Amino acid sequence: MNSRQTLRPQSARPAYLAVLWTMLRNSLVRDMSFRSNFLIESITSLAWMMMNLGFYLLVFKFTRELAPGWGKYEFFAFLATTMLINSVVQAFFMPNAEEFSEMIRTGNLDFALLKPIDAQFLISLQRVNWSSLSNFFVAIALLAYSVWKMTTRETAPLPLHPWMLMAYPLYVACGVAILYSLMISLAATSIWLGRNQSLYDFWFYITNFSRYPMEIYEGQVGTPLRLFFTFIIPVMVVVNVPARVISQPLIGGAGRDVALGPGLDQQFLLGFALLATAGSLGAARWVFQRALTSYRSASS
Amino acid sequence: MRSCSIVVAEPASAHRNLFRYCPMSTIEITGLRKSFRAYQKQEGLRAAIRGLWRRNYREVEAVRGIDLTVEQGEFVAFLGPNGAGKTTTLKLLSGVVHPTSGTARVLGHVPWLRENDYRRRFALVMGQKNQLWWDLPAQESFRLHQQIYRIPPDEFLRTRDELTRLLQVENLLSQPVRELSLGERMKMELIAALLHSPDVLFLDEPTIGLDVVAQHNIQQFLKQYQQQRNVTVLLTSHYMKDVAALCQRVVIIAQGQIKYDGSLSGIIDKFSQTKVVSLTFAEGRMPERLVEFGVVLACEPPKARLRIPRNKVTQTLSTLLSQGGVEDVGVEDAPLDEVIADMFAQVHDNKSPTD
Amino acid sequence: MPAPILSAPSLPAPIVPTSWSASWTIFRIALEERLTYRGDFALGTLMRFLPIVTQIFLWHAVFTAVSTPVTGIAKTVAGYTYEEMVAYYLLTMLGRAFSSMPGLSSGIARLIRTGEIKKFLIQPVDLLWFTFLSRVAHKTAYYSVAAGPFALVFFLCRGYFPPLPSAATLLLFTLTLLLGFLLGYFMEVSLGLIGFWWLEISSLIFVYTLLNFFLSGHMFPLDMLGPEWQWLVQFIPLQYLAYFPAAVFLGKITGAALAWGIACELIWIVALVGLSRWLFHRGVIRYSGFGG
Repeated sequence: MNSRQTLRPQSARPAYLAVLWTMLRNSLVRDMSFRSNFLIESITSLAWMMMNLGFYLLVFKFTRELAPGWGKYEFFAFLATTMLINSVVQAFFMPNAEEFSEMIRTGNLDFALLKPIDAQFLISLQRVNWSSLSNFFVAIALLAYSVWKMTTRETAPLPLHPWMLMAYPLYVACGVAILYSLMISLAATSIWLGRNQSLYDFWFYITNFSRYPMEIYEGQVGTPLRLFFTFIIPVMVVVNVPARVISQPLIGGAGRDVALGPGLDQQFLLGFALLATAGSLGAARWVFQRALTSYRSASS
Repeated sequence: MRSCSIVVAEPASAHRNLFRYCPMSTIEITGLRKSFRAYQKQEGLRAAIRGLWRRNYREVEAVRGIDLTVEQGEFVAFLGPNGAGKTTTLKLLSGVVHPTSGTARVLGHVPWLRENDYRRRFALVMGQKNQLWWDLPAQESFRLHQQIYRIPPDEFLRTRDELTRLLQVENLLSQPVRELSLGERMKMELIAALLHSPDVLFLDEPTIGLDVVAQHNIQQFLKQYQQQRNVTVLLTSHYMKDVAALCQRVVIIAQGQIKYDGSLSGIIDKFSQTKVVSLTFAEGRMPERLVEFGVVLACEPPKARLRIPRNKVTQTLSTLLSQGGVEDVGVEDAPLDEVIADMFAQVHDNKSPTD
Repeated sequence: MPAPILSAPSLPAPIVPTSWSASWTIFRIALEERLTYRGDFALGTLMRFLPIVTQIFLWHAVFTAVSTPVTGIAKTVAGYTYEEMVAYYLLTMLGRAFSSMPGLSSGIARLIRTGEIKKFLIQPVDLLWFTFLSRVAHKTAYYSVAAGPFALVFFLCRGYFPPLPSAATLLLFTLTLLLGFLLGYFMEVSLGLIGFWWLEISSLIFVYTLLNFFLSGHMFPLDMLGPEWQWLVQFIPLQYLAYFPAAVFLGKITGAALAWGIACELIWIVALVGLSRWLFHRGVIRYSGFGG
């Protein structure tokens, strides 16, 4: 038994896919062991969505459109995109970000650091909340309904281009990546700030700015806000870009180009979203590593 | 951070190559130090409010210069009072925390470089924390470990079955961890840590909070496992029984420094200042004032037990014997528990103990 | 399974009257603990104003869209001017600062789930009183930090508010805020105590949060809802958490309606105090019989 080292397979890279698969599976096993809870959670998150929808139906009782180009169904497509992105983030990353703060508090982060695998990977995807994905499918349905309504209406029907359907998932993925970056960075701050109970609140408050078309932010306060949440913390890009892709005519959206001021048109946003995604992921990686470094030198 | 940066600067592969050809010890530590800033919470409400703006930090020196060499197959116990730096040392060797200065090599790796190759070869078990998924059966967590450590399926099953058999938890594998007792949970934690057959094992109070039977089971298991596989083990514990049952070598740490390194019995030679003398006197011949000879531990005529400073034992005995009336004499060492407890207390009272 | 700490299964909930000095100690410790986490605190207070900013922008967009085509005639939406709408949201913030109880029910449920509740069952301390004091301390700590930002925001937005209402109205407004605190507290406590029966109550908490969000008036003024919804609003107590105080301040609820509303709120509070006591009592009996 003494020469056991030689028995060990010396594969250099950890098996990320296999680990991910096992974590997804374990989470499902866990969720299924609380089956009634799973069901209730799915139903309640649907209810949440319905209530939101109800509120905007209420709003559209008083007005025909929110901003130029955002009528009822354009906005519902926007809403569906919000829900789509949020459901993915809530299923995959939210429970882990919360767990991360908890791990720092209890010191269980030590275990994650022991494992021969990238700590950020392990911490970001350990637990998956499958029930949050139920919203995903309803969001798709709402999106399909809105798009169908827009393309078949009498006045100014939306010309649906195959390119729109291809770009949409890409930009949804970008949105998810940006939100993930923001979330993991926020969670990592609990290493410095101590218990971070308001993590969820903070998250909620920041992402609030992604929930409406960026055109509504105008004026003395609105324009700086829009610029800040587009270029400094790019949460406005998250939903706005994919929602514009699917709900606005690709070319010649009248009056749309003025929204961001000169030079900030649709094409610009499409390019910028990709850049913002890469930047966010990089920044999150940096914050995360910094946090771990300071955890490792500041704890005993 | 100063001198450890020298170590970090060297490429990791250089170490491996260097040590592949040199005879090396499994663990080599020199001048290891770790200090950190702790937020000092002030007593009282007003101070807490002031703490909102300005915080007081206290520099805590958890480990202050440790030198230690451990050979392969050794089972070493770290003894020491709470806050002595035992856990911190284990975390340093696991690469979880970064040292302030000093060097360490475990299996030829610098732990805090956290190379995957190193992390596959050791395990850390902390009796006060758990890493298994609370709501899942332990076997699901084991499977995740298999993936993370890339354990080949046949080896995984073999190791798992062997460990579960040794620890007698075969029938608990499919029960959610939250439904297990503390002892059973600890066994599962041990299995999880040993699945990848580590060469070095760090155990931080693995029997804490367990009842006597569970403690004994885990001791037996660790003993058997270590002997069978000849792995290197560092164990911290508060229970002398753990130490007595398992370790040939004891390292006593107090205030972040090593105070003793040697065998268990050697502790008495080094630290015990007293001996216990048992006396049996002839009928009615017991001296009136036994206190003059030493601390009276027990006095039930005709028998008495006295604690006498070591250097006075011969003198005292000859005085007693010359008075006559002594029928039987026995001289013993003070019990180990007491010696160690005394020593910890001494260290605690005296901030700069004589080394 | 560890041996149950409570040996007598039929042991009733220990309602030991906690002395005032002990109460003061509990309060002080909770306050200190709260102030230790300063980073959390400062961020939380600052951020709390962001959601209404987006909400105000939404309404601004709606008012703009409504007003422009018809030369600025439609100046109100559902009986609210734009200024009133802004004031309404700011006031609900104040209401929720009193009535929202972050982490209360989940905290109680966690105590039960992890077994930490045993600590309270063996100590001569009444759990409900203990958590109440802790919560008052948490709120006090919160106000001590949040008062500044609140004052600043209200001052900056003073142009949106109608002239200051009468002293009597202000007094009633303060009363509705305090009652909102009690109502919110006892609702969340009762919710958390359901943890004695259900291991995982996070979804239940979610339902509560959801209903709270929409039906407390936090999201929009509840009188915007048509009569087909009003029966629901009136039937459940959530409106007292945000809508009711704000509407009192803005003079939307006066006279008999106001008296009736406060009476209903008091009845709700008394009922919920009873409910939480009863749940705790039954829960402890169940828990100790269960063997934790």
